[in-house]
Amino acid sequence: MEFFNVFIKSAFIENMVLAYFLGMCSFLAVSKTVKTAFGLGLAVIFVLAVTMPINWVINEYLLGETGIFGTDLTFLRFILFIAVIASMVQLVEMVIEKVSPSLYNSLGIFLPLITVNCAILGGSLFMVSREYNLSESVAFGLGGGFGWFLAIIALAAIREKLRYSNVPPALRGLGMAFILTGLMGMAFMSLMGIDPTVYSVGN
Amino acid sequence: MSLLKFLKKIEPDKKSSPFLHTLFDGFFTFAYAPDTVTKGGVHIKDGMDLKRLMVHVVLVLQLCYAFGSLNIGHQHFAALGMYPDFLDAFHLKITYGLIQLIPIFVVAHLVGLGIEFWYAAKKGHAIEEGFLVSGALIPLIMPPDVPLIWLALAVAFAVIIGKEAFGGTGMNIFNVALLSRAFIFFAYPTEMAGDTMISGKEVWVSGLEFDAAQLAEGVKQQVSYYHWWSHGVFDNLFSAFGWRTFGEGGVAVADSFTGATPLGLAKTGGWAAVAEVYTPTQMWWGGLPGSIGESCKPFIIVGAAALVAMKVASWRVMVGMIIGCALTGMLMNGFTAGYEDPSLSYLQIPWYYHFYMGSFFFSMAFMATDPVTAASTNRGKWIYGFFIGAVGLIIRVMNPAYPEGWMLAILFMNVFAPLIDHYVLESNMTKRLKRA
Repeated sequence: MEFFNVFIKSAFIENMVLAYFLGMCSFLAVSKTVKTAFGLGLAVIFVLAVTMPINWVINEYLLGETGIFGTDLTFLRFILFIAVIASMVQLVEMVIEKVSPSLYNSLGIFLPLITVNCAILGGSLFMVSREYNLSESVAFGLGGGFGWFLAIIALAAIREKLRYSNVPPALRGLGMAFILTGLMGMAFMSLMGIDPTVYSVGN
Repeated sequence: MSLLKFLKKIEPDKKSSPFLHTLFDGFFTFAYAPDTVTKGGVHIKDGMDLKRLMVHVVLVLQLCYAFGSLNIGHQHFAALGMYPDFLDAFHLKITYGLIQLIPIFVVAHLVGLGIEFWYAAKKGHAIEEGFLVSGALIPLIMPPDVPLIWLALAVAFAVIIGKEAFGGTGMNIFNVALLSRAFIFFAYPTEMAGDTMISGKEVWVSGLEFDAAQLAEGVKQQVSYYHWWSHGVFDNLFSAFGWRTFGEGGVAVADSFTGATPLGLAKTGGWAAVAEVYTPTQMWWGGLPGSIGESCKPFIIVGAAALVAMKVASWRVMVGMIIGCALTGMLMNGFTAGYEDPSLSYLQIPWYYHFYMGSFFFSMAFMATDPVTAASTNRGKWIYGFFIGAVGLIIRVMNPAYPEGWMLAILFMNVFAPLIDHYVLESNMTKRLKRA
């Protein structure tokens, strides 16, 4: 049940992009067509869901005072987390290049840039500060990734539709994406404040 | 010389005075069908142009306006403990309601149409009629005592950011009327939550302003509200006929007055708390405090049926929304059956009572079916409507931050409508490719 709650919470209630505004650069840059947005979204889900438990293990068994080294090594947290994320992204990049060269080309620089996507490092750091356990951190990775994925394909579909609109020239492109992100954030505020744990207690 | 010839003669020149020409064109096409027909756009159905399509919605809304203006007056007098019967002192209630409603209507239109005219003149195209419907809907979803400056700001926000930035009528992603309501909701949260103790103002029941010093002592006294230039003039008229008059104002609020809506009561104590104050019949006919035009369900259903019959609104969205809401309500009932926990009492409200409370039908008939912001494929409309029903009920019941869910649920699904369409189209394409 806890797994499910964390998933719902991170996907809808506290959406990475639309509540915390994390991972904005690729969110704005790769949301021009649904197809590429879909690919990048899947890549983010995968990277988040894989790095989160690995980082959890590192944080728990290597860095803490109870870890195998027995000393407080938490100052290494950032560097190790980034290293894990970078290697995962490298893996994803190789897979995509092999499986779908066209997607690889359309994602361009933004695929390796997932490494420094703040949603991913942010996810790992949230995991530490919220003291999730292993299963919760998997749920958080999947949920956060799914929320990010949903947000980027929704924005991409809107931007595809807007291609036929008479948007004022000054707002075309990024300007419109910013306004849309703000309005989408407002729409996602509808679910903010729901506390799923209240209802799981009753059951 | 016929009137038409005269009108053609006074038509301002488009080059030398673009704004006047836009203005003229806007009103001219109201009175006469233009000889140019629709060439493209989003609502092609027959030779009927967009303006005539939209007028249907405005006509259907008149029932809500009539009921709304009577209800404003009724709630006002009910709070003062006067004329408890709904049709009692009819002339006072309807006059009071109109005095309250007309400025809201005028301000919404002045600001909205003003911006629209300005943009039309600036961009050099004819006036886009999109604001006709939004302008008719906005007053109905406002609280009866909304300060006019809030209203003006909200309408300006909705029209500029929500519509003109997207390229004008037919291009907007978010429902313009709901954006203006959401703006007020998020910009003035204390007042909109009905917290009179802080603001000294009750926006949900008209005509009540409380004095801060008296409120501190727990006395809710209506403070000098009737104006000599509006209510006073009518008082002179009514007394000439020997009818009842408004009187001086400054009447104390009745002890029984709480201003609580069914949804507010349901949030605290479930169905039992609602049933103490309101009967289902009363909620069905809508003599409750709330937004101006949302409460009378029979009139709204008549309107919805008329819109479906005239093929202006999509029945798929409406039915989808009812199914979504009913299913979610049944699931909530099913999961909580047998528990005594008071925190679950809202979830245990029988699902069919959710249709009695709040503004479900108004949102269903006039907001969700907006053809621009809804999904435009038939299958997409089912999905879109279903999720509005489900998400709206989840927000209403499970989110303690908001009293009602439909506004936010529709905005939420507006975000996903293009995505739904995209995937419906994709699946159709793959299906046909397979068949070929």
